This record gives sequence, C-alpha cells and structure tokens, in this order.
Amino acid sequence: MQLEVEIARKAFTNAAGERHDVLVDFNFALGTGEIAVFVGPSGCGKSTMLKIIAGLDHDYQGRVVCPAGARIGMVFQEPRLLPWRSVDDNVRLAAPQADDEKLSALFAVLELTAHRNHFPGELSLGLARRVALARAFAIEPDFLILDEPLASLDDALAARLRDQIATLVDSRSVTTLLVTHDMDDAIRLGDRVFLLSPRPARILAELPIRTPRNARGEAEIAAIKAEIARRTNGDCAKGDVL
Amino acid sequence: MLRLLSLAVLLGTWWIAALMAGSAKLPPPPAVLATVITEAESGALFLHLGVTLARVALAFVLAMSLGSAIGYLMGRVRLANRLGDPWLILLLNLPALVVIVLAYIWAGLTEVAAIAAIAINKLPIAVVMVREGTRVLDTALDEMTTVFAIPRWRAFRHVILPQLAPYIAAAARSGLSLVWKIVLVAELLGRPNGVGFEIGVAFQLFDIPRLLAYSLTFAAVVLAIETVLVQPFEARLSRWPPRAA
Repeated sequence: MQLEVEIARKAFTNAAGERHDVLVDFNFALGTGEIAVFVGPSGCGKSTMLKIIAGLDHDYQGRVVCPAGARIGMVFQEPRLLPWRSVDDNVRLAAPQADDEKLSALFAVLELTAHRNHFPGELSLGLARRVALARAFAIEPDFLILDEPLASLDDALAARLRDQIATLVDSRSVTTLLVTHDMDDAIRLGDRVFLLSPRPARILAELPIRTPRNARGEAEIAAIKAEIARRTNGDCAKGDVL
Repeated sequence: MLRLLSLAVLLGTWWIAALMAGSAKLPPPPAVLATVITEAESGALFLHLGVTLARVALAFVLAMSLGSAIGYLMGRVRLANRLGDPWLILLLNLPALVVIVLAYIWAGLTEVAAIAAIAINKLPIAVVMVREGTRVLDTALDEMTTVFAIPRWRAFRHVILPQLAPYIAAAARSGLSLVWKIVLVAELLGRPNGVGFEIGVAFQLFDIPRLLAYSLTFAAVVLAIETVLVQPFEARLSRWPPRAA
C-alpha cells in the first residue's frame, strides 16, 4: 500500500504558552512493501511524526494519505501490553481473526512459543518487545510502524531482534516505517534511509540502499556509513546522527 | 484463633456489664439469644432481614451502575465534569437524613422512595471514585487500541474495565458500608418492615433484647457477606496494578 506524507507544520505549545515547531515541511512518499528508516537525534520529532501517520495526532497542518481501511500494526517505544492478559491473549485481542497456525508460526519466528501463557509482568523488556512485534504482525498489517524497536536492549539481543524483524518484513509485503537513532540498524533494515535534522525535524537527506537485506555484509555497511557521513558533513552535528 | 478469643472477651465483657447494669438496661447474652431464637422460629427475623437485604441489593446495584456510568463520563468528558461537579459536591455534602426525609415527602412512604433515597446517598461516592479511576487511565493503552482499530466495546471490556476495576471495587466497598448504615435509617423513618423498622419498634417499647437481637443478627449477616462475598471479589478485581507494563 502506498503512503503519502506531507506535514507542513506541527507545533507544540509548552506550559509557558510558547509555540515550538517540531516538524516543518516534512514530505515523503512510500511505495508498497518499502521499508523506510528514519534516523535522527533523540527528541527531534520522530515519534511525533509516527503518531501523526498512525492517526493518533490530528493537530497538524498538512495531510497523510493512505488507502481507506488500511490496517496499521505498530510497535511503540514501550511494549504497551495489557498486564492482565497473557502473551497469547494480548496478541489475540488485537488480532481476533488470526488463525492458530499463522500465530504459532509467528511465535516460533520470534522465539516466543514457550512464553505464550506468561503474563507481561513476567517478561523481560526484550521479550515484551517481541510480543509487541508479534501483535503488530499478527494483524497482517498493510503498514507497519516501528518506533525504536531495538532501543535499550543489549547488543546481542538487539542484533537477534533485528534479524527477526528482517525475516518478518521480508516474508510479507508490508510498507514499513522504522524510527531509530542507530545508524547500523537503519542500514541493515532499510530500503530507504531518511536522515533527519534536530528539532524542528526536516529531512536532510534520503539514501536508497539497493543491496538486498540479506546480502549486506560488513564492508557494504561500512561503505554506506561512510557515504552518509560524507553527505551529512556540515549539515548536521556529527555526534547527533552518527 | 485469636479472633475467637477476642470475640469471647467481648461476650464476657458484655455479660459482666449486663450483670452490673441490670438486665433492664443491658440484657445478658442468653436473654438476647433467646429473643433471636423466638424471632427466628416465628419467621419474623428472616422476613425482616430478607427485606432489608433486598433493599440493600437494589439500592447498591442502582447506585453502582448509575454512579460508575456518570463517573466514567465525567472522567472522560471535560464538559460533563464541569456541569456535573457542582451537583456532585452538593450530593456529597447533603446529610443522608435530609435525602431520606425529602424522598418520603416527595414520593410518599413508598418502597421506591426508600430505595431511591439510599441509592442517592451512595451515588456520589461511586461517581467520585470511578471518575478518579477514569482520569488516570493509561493513555498509552488508549493509543494502542486506536492504532490497532480494536472495536470500542472490546477495548472497553478488555482494556478500560480492568484498569477501572480497583476503583470500582473501592467504590463498591465504601459504598456498601454506607448503604448498610443508611438502609436502617430509611426503614426506621418510613417502612413497615425490615431490620430498621424492628429497631424502631424496639426503641419505642424499650425492648432492649429485641433491639440487640435484630441489630446483632444484622451485623452478623453484614460481616458474613463482607467476608464471603465482598472481600474475595475485591481481591480478585485488584489483582492487577492499574498501571500497564
């Protein structure tokens, strides 16, 4: 499914009554099955952008065009699971029509099979994230929105989850928006990488990555990184993005 | 074991006090027990207890359902809160006696008036508690249900209600203890049956064994219902913390 985003301006009013721009002239379009990764410094407005696209925030100037009835699966920064429901029930609440076989396969990919009857309170953050991911995939979404799905996980765990996400998005055609502040994740997962400026966020550069995901070796990733560093030099503080 | 001992001490104290004060003012436990038995044998005790319990149940259900709905609305809709708040403050501070007397004057000495008066007394407590619960509902989970397009009713039942449960339980708990007290006043003032009516009769006749027989059995029933029904129910509802993971 196609997605067109044209956010002319999004501003917040703080407690003192001053208006601050968060997003300015933020335009892009995604084709079916494309994976767009947005990289930017913390607090630049990435989550705000995702909220607008997910239809949670209507207070902005501009428009977001996506086909009517499109199903959105989202993984928030925090897992947002219901503590009073088991892992299985949490997923089924969002996806009541999902059949058992597909769910089992999904749980297997995410290595959650042993945890289906556990409650969120019994899970580590990494596991809870995977449950949130399972919930987002279980509804067989047209759009997948991932807000820092790998944040605050240790490196090994983050790498595993990143591979699992790659496996899942490759196995079905779902238009994906992923937000991260980690360049490595962006290059390993994205078809197109958008580099964002500090607040108010604008798109500084757009970088297509043509090598298929599973063929991206360390050398290639290093090369893409160098390319990004070259293109963003001077335009944005190095420490922020890279 | 300790509770039984404590109860025995209470009975003993009562007995000694009865001996010292004279049975006209404070009858000893056996005299009260004898009255309980005669009232039970004639069936009057069960009739009056039953009628009172039915009034409690009706008024309680009425006040809880109406109060929860209003509280939820006031917690969600700012306009409803601003409109409803003055009413709420008035109702919260209106003495129970005033409501009961006015209800009997306006609606006559009827069952409807009694139950409505009891329910109105309990209503504001339910409203306030459920409103507080609604105000602290997790917006993060609301966003989740919106994005995943979970139908409104399903979301209410599986996401909202579990978060409100501890508040509803607290409202039920404090509301019930209020209803237990008010129902007797309402009966005393305007009903021809019920524990409150019997206590009124006993008061007029200075029939202290009868007064104690009815009030103590009533207290025992309340205690039984609280321990057997309310406390397990409350524990069940409050199993989960209101904050989400």
